Amino acid sequence: MNNIYLPQLVTIEDIYDEAPDVKSYRLVFKDKAVREAFDFKAGQFGLYSAFGLGESTFCIASSPTRKGYIQCTFRRTGRVTGGLDELSIGGTMGFRGPYGNWFPLDEWKGKNIVFIAGGIGLPPVRSVIWNCLDRREDFGNITIVYGAKTVADLVYKNELEHWGGRPDVKLIQTVDPGGETPEWKGKTGFVPTVLEEAAPKAENSIAVTCGPPIMIKFVLATLKKLGWNDEQVYTTLENKMKCGVGKCGRCNVGDVYICKEGPVYTAAGVKKMYNDF
Amino acid sequence: MENILRKKAKELLETGAVKVVIGYGWNRSKTRTTPVFITKPEDADRLVFNPLCVNNLSVYLTRKFKDIQALGKPAIIAKGCDIKNIVVLITEAQLQREDVFIIGMVCEGTVYKQELWKGELLPQIMPTKCHNCGVRNPHVADVIIGEKSTFVPPEKPTGMVFDKIKDIDSKDQSARWGFWINEFSRCVKCYACRQVCSLCYCERCIAEKNMPQWIETSAHPRGNLSWNLTRAMHLVGRCTFCGECERACPVNIPLNLINQKMILVVKDAFNFESGYDEKTHPPMIVFSPDDKDNFIK
Amino acid sequence: MAKTVEKLLKKENLDKLITSVKADGGRWIAPVTDARQVVFKAVTKHEDMASDYILARNSYKEVLFPQTEVIAEYSVSREGSEMHGVELTPAETVVFGARPCEAASLKSLRSVFTWDFIDEFYTKREEKLIIITVACTKADEACFCTTVNISPESTEGSDIYLKETVSGDYLAHGATEKGKAFMAKHGNTFENAPKDAQTKKLVMPEEINGIDLDKISERLKKTGHYEDHVWAELTRKCIGCGACTYVCPTCHCFDITDEGTAIEGERRKNWDSCQFDAFTLHASGHNPRDTQFKRWRNRFMCKMHIYPEKFNSTGCVGCGRCVRVCPVRLDITEVMEALSK
Repeated sequence: MNNIYLPQLVTIEDIYDEAPDVKSYRLVFKDKAVREAFDFKAGQFGLYSAFGLGESTFCIASSPTRKGYIQCTFRRTGRVTGGLDELSIGGTMGFRGPYGNWFPLDEWKGKNIVFIAGGIGLPPVRSVIWNCLDRREDFGNITIVYGAKTVADLVYKNELEHWGGRPDVKLIQTVDPGGETPEWKGKTGFVPTVLEEAAPKAENSIAVTCGPPIMIKFVLATLKKLGWNDEQVYTTLENKMKCGVGKCGRCNVGDVYICKEGPVYTAAGVKKMYNDF
Repeated sequence: MENILRKKAKELLETGAVKVVIGYGWNRSKTRTTPVFITKPEDADRLVFNPLCVNNLSVYLTRKFKDIQALGKPAIIAKGCDIKNIVVLITEAQLQREDVFIIGMVCEGTVYKQELWKGELLPQIMPTKCHNCGVRNPHVADVIIGEKSTFVPPEKPTGMVFDKIKDIDSKDQSARWGFWINEFSRCVKCYACRQVCSLCYCERCIAEKNMPQWIETSAHPRGNLSWNLTRAMHLVGRCTFCGECERACPVNIPLNLINQKMILVVKDAFNFESGYDEKTHPPMIVFSPDDKDNFIK
Repeated sequence: MAKTVEKLLKKENLDKLITSVKADGGRWIAPVTDARQVVFKAVTKHEDMASDYILARNSYKEVLFPQTEVIAEYSVSREGSEMHGVELTPAETVVFGARPCEAASLKSLRSVFTWDFIDEFYTKREEKLIIITVACTKADEACFCTTVNISPESTEGSDIYLKETVSGDYLAHGATEKGKAFMAKHGNTFENAPKDAQTKKLVMPEEINGIDLDKISERLKKTGHYEDHVWAELTRKCIGCGACTYVCPTCHCFDITDEGTAIEGERRKNWDSCQFDAFTLHASGHNPRDTQFKRWRNRFMCKMHIYPEKFNSTGCVGCGRCVRVCPVRLDITEVMEALSK
């Protein structure tokens, strides 16, 4: 019997502390055949199980160009993430996926890409960033604007350093006013403000944004001000999910099932939806 | 009675004394009553009052209904039994007496369930609470509508619920257990009992808490038992026997039996009955050196 | 309806039929009276079945989509954790005494459980299901099938469609291949129908004049209706219980939850309701449907827009269960009427 709700077993190969209560796990499928056959696209998500506690939905934060493992990044908030948080290297969890649609990277060939993320919104964007960087010659300028509440809340600190050191990436980091430390060398200010200062050119460009709803709202307004249109801007939506496969009936925004038709939408696509956010 | 009610509601809305009148209106075919929220004086004529007005509207005064609270100060049309719940809400600091205008309705009884109505209020279609009602003349109200009732409740409570409790009490423990397990086995976990209850006003019910998971969400015997017991225990010394939970239950679980049994236990142990006086705190939330404590063995 | 496949199922032969189904390891589900209401339950003999009823309180959907079921089992140990799926081998299940309205809901459930990903917990059961519908000779004021283009004469979803005869037997019409095969297999209980068999008059619920399904559909297609104050006004009395969704034959929402100890336990698929406030509550505390009228609006959208537009099926079959069961008598037809204006 094909049980669409049955997860694959994955082993935690490595754990990285990213920020207070935020961790990344590097996961490897236990089954060799699954491990070798597994493929996904940047932007897709999965359901991660802590046995006895349930499943939680997050994006796959690693790039599809990096084979043999997947990475997820999550914040300890509820029952399932609390249970996942308590696992250690070598521990087993469940994974179902990949589900949902993806960022159409092939359509973006030759374009400049601007990534705009806030806080825990970087993980889904990270998958796209590495995907683009691993196919660097396919794209024009790559700009990353990333901010968090405080310096401590910035995730992927090592990678931020790496991106910042690369000549082919323009990285702008910021923290909210009051969130800086004496050593902080980045900017201080909210992401939309910093974005406006950076003023990325709309021409031949694509923006990918993810973060708290309030940030996205102002990022969209800023981009509009800078001359971007809604078709150029991509985001990834989240809603509570249980099945991930269009059955359980809770992730819909109006008549759009985020798990099936999403989670990736253009700003134009989002604006067409029912106000059910 | 209805005319006076409508006039009063109109006046309250016109003067701005209240922003919404929570009352009863007809459904399309005028065969059932349903809660209505009157915000415009000209709509006050939609209000009705008759033995089909079974709902205890006090549930709409609780914080579960944020959009109703946003309308502004309410007036509520309430029978004596409904007022008991308002009194408990006041006792438990869910609202202040002056936050609500109580239009008390003199009531000669309602039907147990609306579908039983055949045009006449016969004793056999009335719930047990009506047969023993001591508040046909509302005991706490800003205005009382209706001619004073002369009904005197029987000295010793009577009715189906009391008979059934006696019957169950006479059985041995395993038979009682068997009875309840069978009744709870039908539970579908729709939580109508909780949602319809004005004293179940928690915004995050224990049934929804999962850290830890106190109550299993599945509608299997274990989950059903833990839900139904927890619901009952959370109402000890608080439940007023309004009967809404049993009326709302789609699978006919006799919740009135549990509730009335608890009321009898509390009366016996603490000589307390909820819903009469907003200044007396229920026994489960106060400590008194005079408590019998005879359950500690 | 082709006359050629009409057969006579005598009431006195029902026991023979039930026994024969059970002898093959099957189940016979029919309306019975339990706790002062008529419900679908497994029965062993025809005298246990209710005959004088409008509609069972529950929908037979629980036969296909149980209220709670184990979908996997887990174990956790130092050596490593495991999770195994549950194998489902359902027995043949006959649902006898369904009404044409709820029979029509089968396609709707199927459309959800089989779009793209196929939920075999549903499909495996449906493969083994025979729906024997008995056309209605009674209705109450909550019935509104005719308003949503279904009627006691509709055979969609029924495998075998029965009409009661004046003498208390049934005139049987094989409506699907599955139904016809069932009738052929149990040929000794389905006799040739006499030419003069008189059937009882079917009762047609009166169509509700003020409801215009096309208008509702047009209105729901425009995203702007989410801002319409009509939703709050008509549905703020909703107390947010799940009674309507649990009796509804097309409601399909569920939860997936783990139960057990830290060492072993099971993963379950449980009915859930879009009317519960925790249904869409994010871990962050944000709730896209933070007031009850938004949750009610979602249910209405699901029935009147998502099912027809997305799944090409019927969201509401007019059985009226939600109307009967609602503790505050929130009548979906009154909302339909208001939205037809």
